[in-house]
Amino acid sequence: MKGLAKGLKYTLKNMTQEKVTYDYPEEPLPLPDRFRGIQKFYPEKCIVCNQCVNICPTDCITLTGKKHPDPERKGRIIETYNINFEICILCDLCTEVCPTEAIVMTNNFELAEYSRDEFFKDLQWLDENDTNIRKEN
Amino acid sequence: MTAEENGKTPNEQTDAGNPDQAEELKADEAKQDHSQKPESVSGKAETEAKSEKDAKKSDKPAAESQSERNKTAESSTSATADDQSRKETAREKADQAGTKKTRRPKKKAEKEEAREELEPSPKEPLLKKYVSIIEEHLGEDALEDSFINRASKDLPTLIAHPGFYFSIAKLLKTHEELQFNYLSELHGTDFKEYMEVYVHLYSFSQKENMALKVKLDREQPEIDSLTPLWEGANWPECEAYDLLGIKFTNHPDLKRIFLGEDWEGYPLRKDYEPYDVEV
Amino acid sequence: MVRTEEMLLNVGPQHPSTHGVFRLVVKVDGEIIKEATPVIGYLHRGTEKLAEDLQYTQIIPYTDRMDYLSAMTNNYVLCHAVETLMGLEVPEKAEYLRVMAMELGRIASHLVWFGTYLLDIGATSPFLYAFREREAIINLLNELSGARLTFNYMRIGGVKWDAPEGWVDKVREFIPYMRNELEGYHDLVTGNEIFVNRVKNVGTYTKEDAIQYSLSGANLRCTGVKFDLRKEEPYSIYDRFDFDVPTEEAGDAFARYKVRMAEIEESLKILEQAVEQFPEDGKILGKVPRVIRPPEGETYVRIESPRGEIGCYIASDGQKEPYRLKFRRPSFYNLQILPKLLKGENMANLVTILGGVDIVLGEVDG
Ligand code: SF4
Ligand code: SF4
Repeated sequence: MKGLAKGLKYTLKNMTQEKVTYDYPEEPLPLPDRFRGIQKFYPEKCIVCNQCVNICPTDCITLTGKKHPDPERKGRIIETYNINFEICILCDLCTEVCPTEAIVMTNNFELAEYSRDEFFKDLQWLDENDTNIRKEN
Repeated sequence: MTAEENGKTPNEQTDAGNPDQAEELKADEAKQDHSQKPESVSGKAETEAKSEKDAKKSDKPAAESQSERNKTAESSTSATADDQSRKETAREKADQAGTKKTRRPKKKAEKEEAREELEPSPKEPLLKKYVSIIEEHLGEDALEDSFINRASKDLPTLIAHPGFYFSIAKLLKTHEELQFNYLSELHGTDFKEYMEVYVHLYSFSQKENMALKVKLDREQPEIDSLTPLWEGANWPECEAYDLLGIKFTNHPDLKRIFLGEDWEGYPLRKDYEPYDVEV
Repeated sequence: MVRTEEMLLNVGPQHPSTHGVFRLVVKVDGEIIKEATPVIGYLHRGTEKLAEDLQYTQIIPYTDRMDYLSAMTNNYVLCHAVETLMGLEVPEKAEYLRVMAMELGRIASHLVWFGTYLLDIGATSPFLYAFREREAIINLLNELSGARLTFNYMRIGGVKWDAPEGWVDKVREFIPYMRNELEGYHDLVTGNEIFVNRVKNVGTYTKEDAIQYSLSGANLRCTGVKFDLRKEEPYSIYDRFDFDVPTEEAGDAFARYKVRMAEIEESLKILEQAVEQFPEDGKILGKVPRVIRPPEGETYVRIESPRGEIGCYIASDGQKEPYRLKFRRPSFYNLQILPKLLKGENMANLVTILGGVDIVLGEVDG
């Protein structure tokens, strides 16, 4: 019986404590800056080096590049850039290897959709996804 | 390094998807682009990121010597196999397996040489002791080879003759000077020319580790089960049977533990073909 | 005279007490279990096969998904194996960050076990308390690595991120808080007569059995074998810390409970010292070649995860991808003793025994 009484004491003590539950979704979750949500892509920064494609463990990035329209300038610019978000495991490796930080993480994590097709994120979507961008990359 | 590599593998130059090539090319541009990066990040983060990239830069020589070492080590390796991109479908890979077949993951001759150059390992006397005990009890033929595996924290490694595998294991477990009574790990590997079973043993009384290996015929891999000695070998042996098709005789209940009895083929064999290449 | 008949009963694959997809076919005669056959493989993803086509860095996120309750130790075992094979040096600061992350992970993992185990045997409130504390740890790790469970934090030769500002202080503050709560748990649960009756002398095995069945971790230490790889074969920088290896003699479910609770305390001790010794300056990534290509050869390393001994075997042929990668997954080995333990037991003890083993199905199935 002594053990039970002790336990009850602990329970009673906890009744007066502050609530620790989150009021999500009424209040947005406080997330640390490093949190990995969906990527943001800057087409103008990309140099089509293919490193992100090569490092991605699930092969969910596809991209094509084209010659720079200005013949004076060397290098290539991006033409299409797609992430198949159905299989992206948000491992952070693509943003880690990108030498120009053309692909970065955001903290946006509310990504539920009604259709699988919606998870095919193209260049435009990724470019417009410009809120809550992570500071360190 | 770039020049050297280009000279060696001309077909690489056109291959934009090649990871190595791309990374080498990028090395310089990366530095420039990094300094041009907008100052949006906080001061601390910036220096951190820089020092990290700096660290990577200064590693370049190490990287070169590393890959050079590898190149000399596998001069027989053809460029195609070396630069094989993982983007290829499994089928293409299976075709290439033919060229890969000539390469053996372990080259004993080289190993022996390297061993002579280095100082003797602190575990050398232990290995000698194990070998002499085994030879005393089971004869000279019981072991095919024995060495210290330096890459594995100086691990004494014995390669058993398949016929003596079980009796060696039993001796290792019961001999009072050895008492390897804990089986830490058992698994198989397909080395293309042979199958190997790797057993990692630990002795609580000696506080020593050792590895016992046995090489099996790849077409008919069959070996005595260790389950009568260590109950803990039961499921790992089922796993090796399931994924590699190694038969363990005298096993109390050898079953395909993960994939189910109706699965075709043994996935961890190097020539395994998944029936749907995309999945 | 009551006529009884043997009956086959399927527990799982979807069953709340199996904590994952695990099926147990039990043959019962009345209330007594005659035979129990575990059926596994529902979560087999072929990590080892997948890894043969992946570069070493790319495998790290896959290890997160094996033992998803302590992904940090899984990260570490892979990195440690590659580092051993290549003979890489890891900077001191990175090692401290790794140790702190792993020990926090260990506490979080034991807390999940504590909460869910008590939930399984019928006590609801400890679960809520345990998850409250775990949430604090998850938040710490989230701040450090950017994810709550699948951290992908460690890299070959170091770690991905340095500690964010003020993080170490937060860990320092967390230690006394956790100590205090741990005492509360002991008040709430350890002395509780109902709980003690439920777990004492249930699922007992001897030291010899434990060794024979290759058990590890708390499952081994509950029989009096003082064996912890952090102490016996110190990896990383564990030789710098002063901590104890808790053991119990009884070998029953209660002993396993006590060992795990004591391990939380020891982890806190390690954390405390790590926080004190933490070097503010230094690199977090060692000298690592751009492309990681371990030399030809093979290696096997083993470390102590919350569930026991996790090992990693790599056979390399000098390529960027491993020729063969094999994980020794502690839950897989620990589960083998289950049929033996269940035989002749009361049906009501099934969950007590199964929960006491502390398995994670992602790890059992690989
Ligand atoms: S986060 Fe990982 S899985 Fe997702 S796109 Fe980037 S590299 Fe691929
Ligand atoms: S790594 Fe960066 S720069 Fe290179 S292709 Fe990917 S997004 Fe573009």
